[in-house]
Amino acid sequence: MTRLTRVGAREKVTGAARYGADHTPEGVAYAMPVVATVGKGRITRLDTEAAAAVPGVLLILSHLDNLGIIPAGYIMADGYAFQSLQPLLDDRVAYRGQPIALVVADTLVAATQAAGLVRAEYETEPFAVELGADGAETVLQEEAIPLPFLADIVVGDAEAAFEGSQVRVDGTYESGPQHQVPMELIGSVVEWQEDTVVVHEGTQSVGALRGGLARQLGIDPDRVQVIAPYVGGAFGQKNALQPHLAPLAVAARRAGRPVKLVLPRAHTFHAASFRPVARHRVRLGADASGRLLAVIHEVDQQASRHDLLPATYTEITSRLYAVPNFRGRQRHVKTDAQTPGYMRAPFEHSAAFAMESAVDELCQAIGRDPVEFRLANDAEVDPVTGKPFSSRHLAECLRRGAELFGWAARTPEPPRDVDGTMIGWGVATGAYPSLTVPTLARLRADAGGRIVAEVGGHEIGQGITTVLTCAIADDLGIDPDAVTVVVGDTRAVPHHLTAGAWGTNSTLRAVHAALRELRAGLGAAAAGRVDVAAAVTASGRDEVVVEAVTQGPGQPPEMIDRMRAGLVALAGPEYPDYVSFSFVAHFAEVRIEPVTRRIRVPRVVSVVDCGRVASPVTAEAQVRGAVVWGIGAALRERSEVDPRYGGFLNTDMAEYVIPVNADIGRIDVAFVNEPDFVLNPMGVKNLGEVALVGVAAAIANAVHHATGRRVRRLPIMVEHVL
Amino acid sequence: MPARISVARMTSEAETAFTVNGTTVRLGLDPRESLLDVLRERLGLTGAKKGCDHGQCGACTVHLDGRRVVSCLMPAVQANGRSVTTIEGVSGPGGELHPLQQAFVDHDALQCGYCTPGQVMSGLACIAEGHAGDDDEIREYMSGNLCRCGAYTGILAAVRAAATQWEG
Ligand code: FES
Ligand code: FES
Repeated sequence: MTRLTRVGAREKVTGAARYGADHTPEGVAYAMPVVATVGKGRITRLDTEAAAAVPGVLLILSHLDNLGIIPAGYIMADGYAFQSLQPLLDDRVAYRGQPIALVVADTLVAATQAAGLVRAEYETEPFAVELGADGAETVLQEEAIPLPFLADIVVGDAEAAFEGSQVRVDGTYESGPQHQVPMELIGSVVEWQEDTVVVHEGTQSVGALRGGLARQLGIDPDRVQVIAPYVGGAFGQKNALQPHLAPLAVAARRAGRPVKLVLPRAHTFHAASFRPVARHRVRLGADASGRLLAVIHEVDQQASRHDLLPATYTEITSRLYAVPNFRGRQRHVKTDAQTPGYMRAPFEHSAAFAMESAVDELCQAIGRDPVEFRLANDAEVDPVTGKPFSSRHLAECLRRGAELFGWAARTPEPPRDVDGTMIGWGVATGAYPSLTVPTLARLRADAGGRIVAEVGGHEIGQGITTVLTCAIADDLGIDPDAVTVVVGDTRAVPHHLTAGAWGTNSTLRAVHAALRELRAGLGAAAAGRVDVAAAVTASGRDEVVVEAVTQGPGQPPEMIDRMRAGLVALAGPEYPDYVSFSFVAHFAEVRIEPVTRRIRVPRVVSVVDCGRVASPVTAEAQVRGAVVWGIGAALRERSEVDPRYGGFLNTDMAEYVIPVNADIGRIDVAFVNEPDFVLNPMGVKNLGEVALVGVAAAIANAVHHATGRRVRRLPIMVEHVL
Repeated sequence: MPARISVARMTSEAETAFTVNGTTVRLGLDPRESLLDVLRERLGLTGAKKGCDHGQCGACTVHLDGRRVVSCLMPAVQANGRSVTTIEGVSGPGGELHPLQQAFVDHDALQCGYCTPGQVMSGLACIAEGHAGDDDEIREYMSGNLCRCGAYTGILAAVRAAATQWEG
């Protein structure tokens, strides 16, 4: 298979790649929001006089104007936006950091100065920003959101089996809140070209921006164009319409000029979603020989007052082991924050931290090696449905990882370095469901032998353009340089949201189907090399254009209509005779300095079962990046809240600490690389999310090995291991 | 190089002249404008990126008289009489990649690419400063440049490869 260097790398190393805010149309004006400085309440007075007097100020939008827009609706409830609440429409303040005005001026300097001069007075109300705080209301998921895939998972009688178990573990684990903080700031450039509004914005969902903005403005979606060929990282933050866009479009129309908005980094912590707090109680029961008998996994997840983020933590914890008795329960705790949402491995990262920490505790209690325990309790069929897995090579991940890491040399007593450095080794596993979404791919072949592929997907750094280029070049036996992939552009094709690691598998499915159509259209055989130039010339046409729309098995046809409208396909896939997950095993070494107790991670080994590896170069990068994320999640990242103030406090890159180069040691990545042809004809499962699942648990388990301290709350700080 | 004219003439505009990638530019600048914003919004040089505007991420790294600076923290008027190099000035005249840029491609030292121009500018400086002696030193001196995609091992490999190549 083609081992291609990353498509777009040249543009990225030369600065030629154009991200949303790199677009600077002639005559552009600049916008700057003003945000609420109280935790909850009502705006009683908004004084914009001083701001309006700043030379160059064009507009100040607030609830005092009639913006003429309606909310776009919540993405998980037939809408387009990360939350149902659209700021600037009334005097309510639901959370600190909520926008209350938008200043537009000739220059960024003037807009910034004026925004700083807007004064608001508030009538404040009590608010809750933590689980367990007064006024934080708890609701049961299966009652609050009665959808089948969100119901409690119950297998056997977990309570009785737990009570009857000879060895029991009962622990409470907590992670979050955290923020995605992609390096590209949230921002947009909006321009009206006659009746059409053109949006340049880094997003994982050009379709949601198109559909949502049309709904908000009350115009035909065909009059909205959204262009995002490059996205400077997203990680779930940019998976929906954000509330800045519609006011910006109103501003651009009123000003009669294009308007550019780049949010200050501090604003981004309240302007989009975040990873909510999740508190897990995990109970495990086993017999004395180390056979897992019962798992009870109960989760409380933070919500906003206005939306509930459907939680699926127990979907993977019920599948990691062959456990005959399982009970999951998920609840939502409403707090005064913006709506939390999806951040890479949104539920699975936190769920695996809880579950795989608990399993480590169980192994310790019964004196079993954690790798050997996992191999002994591996599931052959899905413990929840009794169906087979489309493929499951978790045991192989564990064996290969153990070998690459040198796990056999591990002793229960951790080694010490001569200088007193504490050394610990930990292991953990993870899983992630094989999601697939409706996708359209159009292939154009021309007489020069070139292929242009217009595909409903987004290039967010994961390498989707590289994967598709490889797939097309390999299939037709042509030079990858003859292939151009166009993604992230509503002018080309309709787009479903790209997230949940479904991007590669879904777009490959559509491209694979379109390639079959193309071969037919070119009169070529079903397989083998194609002389594209000759075939197009022989057809007598300038180009041969074919199209295919695909979705997952069991996805109702209405899901394709939803995709075309920019909505999320909320149903399926529903596999008839099997369930499907990707799997991973991580092995981590920590070294803890004797005096400072600073925790370092000199090496990690990760082995992934993602089916066939679609593009080796970008796949390895995805996994290494996920390991960096796991190190951040385990040791660095936490968004601080304070019940006195509301909102998040550490809202910059100095205080919301993510890993830097010096934090990262050696990361070895391997793939089982067994195609899964049950799942799809390409044999590809998902990768981008599973790669993060379990990293934090492996590190926490290594910290326990090194120190004897079981830290059940992320991130693990120096003070936890003093 | 096309200069954008500010519509609102600020009262305290300062005439400023500096070179960018070898070309002289003259602009009337508000003293509050950062070098980053001037490069991006007025000069159309959007290779340098804004990731924080607070000197905390390195995405806006450029060279000023041959030394790396975070251009978001530098008032553009301070560049008066000095020479600025941005990522757009790193490749050869025919578009051939600088060996460090090529090393970034070869070692896949990027994913989304947003931090990449800053990483390359820092990498060039890291090598020129003599701070690419070993892996730990490179990691340390490249730690002012955040990469949320986590391409750090590739960045390390690319800087190491280019440094070795320079030493011959
Ligand atoms: S934008 Fe200058 S350091 Fe982040
Ligand atoms: S490549 Fe995406 S932030 Fe570095």
